Amino acid sequence: MRRQPADPHADPLALDGETAERLLTGRLSPAQAPPGYAEVAALLAAAAAPPAPEELTGEAAARAALRAVTRARAAGSRRAARPARRRRVGLVAVVAAGALATGGVAAAATGHLPGPVQGAARSILVTVGSDEPAPPANPPRASTPGSGATGRGPASTGATGRGPGTTGAAAPNLKGLCNAYQAGEGAEQGGKLDATAFQALARAAGGREKIPAYCQHLLPPDKKAKEPRQPAPPTPGQGQGQGGRPPSGGGGDNGQGADRP
Amino acid sequence: MIGPEFPAVLQAASRGDEAAFGRLWHDLQPRVLRYFMVAAPAAAEDLASETWLGVVRGLDRFRGNEPSFRAWVFTIARHEVLDWRRRAARRVTEDLPVNGPPERAAPDDPAAAALDDLSTRAALAMVATLPPDQAEAVVLRVVAGLGVDRVAAIMGKRPGTVRVLTHRGLRRLAERLGADRLRGVV
Repeated sequence: MRRQPADPHADPLALDGETAERLLTGRLSPAQAPPGYAEVAALLAAAAAPPAPEELTGEAAARAALRAVTRARAAGSRRAARPARRRRVGLVAVVAAGALATGGVAAAATGHLPGPVQGAARSILVTVGSDEPAPPANPPRASTPGSGATGRGPASTGATGRGPGTTGAAAPNLKGLCNAYQAGEGAEQGGKLDATAFQALARAAGGREKIPAYCQHLLPPDKKAKEPRQPAPPTPGQGQGQGGRPPSGGGGDNGQGADRP
Repeated sequence: MIGPEFPAVLQAASRGDEAAFGRLWHDLQPRVLRYFMVAAPAAAEDLASETWLGVVRGLDRFRGNEPSFRAWVFTIARHEVLDWRRRAARRVTEDLPVNGPPERAAPDDPAAAALDDLSTRAALAMVATLPPDQAEAVVLRVVAGLGVDRVAAIMGKRPGTVRVLTHRGLRRLAERLGADRLRGVV
């Protein structure tokens, strides 16, 4: 039992950078680890162990989301040929079904809906790739200093912006659809569900009747996420730059972790 | 890792090929889930779902190789954590005691649990007891399998800072585990 180090000035847990790196990349077995680090090596190996079956649930939901996005995107590009204005008004009218009591379609079309409904309408407009301009009230994402390098370039406004890059990028925002669905709850839902966007939601949910349960699962209890949010993908430039890196050797799960200088 | 087939798999997935997407999902979902079990254990499953929604939405616009794809996915994941923390803080300030403040779900004595049974869950719970920045840096290196530079970019820190965080994290884990072992032996 190592109680006290012989030399009171020696650090019993001294760790050099090379050893730390081997620990972090799983290249140091507990038997090889320096004094005091065998348990750490075992711990990290357990943390990076092969997946257990219970970690692989949820694939069906993810696939459903992909399906919904793909279909809505296809529908969006088919529709791109039609006049944008008609499309927009129609969609807003659909989304505003739950807001008719407060002024309804006209208010929606002019951007004067009550908060929650406005948010829902915006989600749908984003969903179907409408060219509705981003509302000024859209709060900028809080950003971590220095994180801009990680794929948060100018493209990050793409979701709501009008840039040419967003044309036809009609990803259905399932959470947005759920928000809209729930915002319109109590209204006549049969009409709402005819909208292409809501059909995507119904498909993702596995049927119209399953939408409430699906949305309940999708939206946290506090009904967050009024805004579609996701960091922009890396710019092509960034991707290419990283593509130029030498391929990581080893091939293990942590192989690329070894790409230290 | 998917390896040499990755570009084809990614391209097919971004066109809506479910089988290809499933391969991406299988490769990364466990890692994403484990990241959340350290960074936001109370909401790990939900945040993993949210992350995949984000991936699905941005898939056709993503350009890059497999390591940069993985880093992109974890960038989305980290944003989910930040949003979740903001919402949790708002819930607290709104004085709604329903859920209470976010808590780190950890066993009573994670160190003992980790030593008795080195399950992945126990190991992650132990990592989660580190100061948040250290825990996040360690899990992104070890579980996400990302290099220092990518972790630094994701966390918005300098690579040197990430090295310091992981070094301190490892050291602290060694202290905790060592103290526990001595306690067990004595």
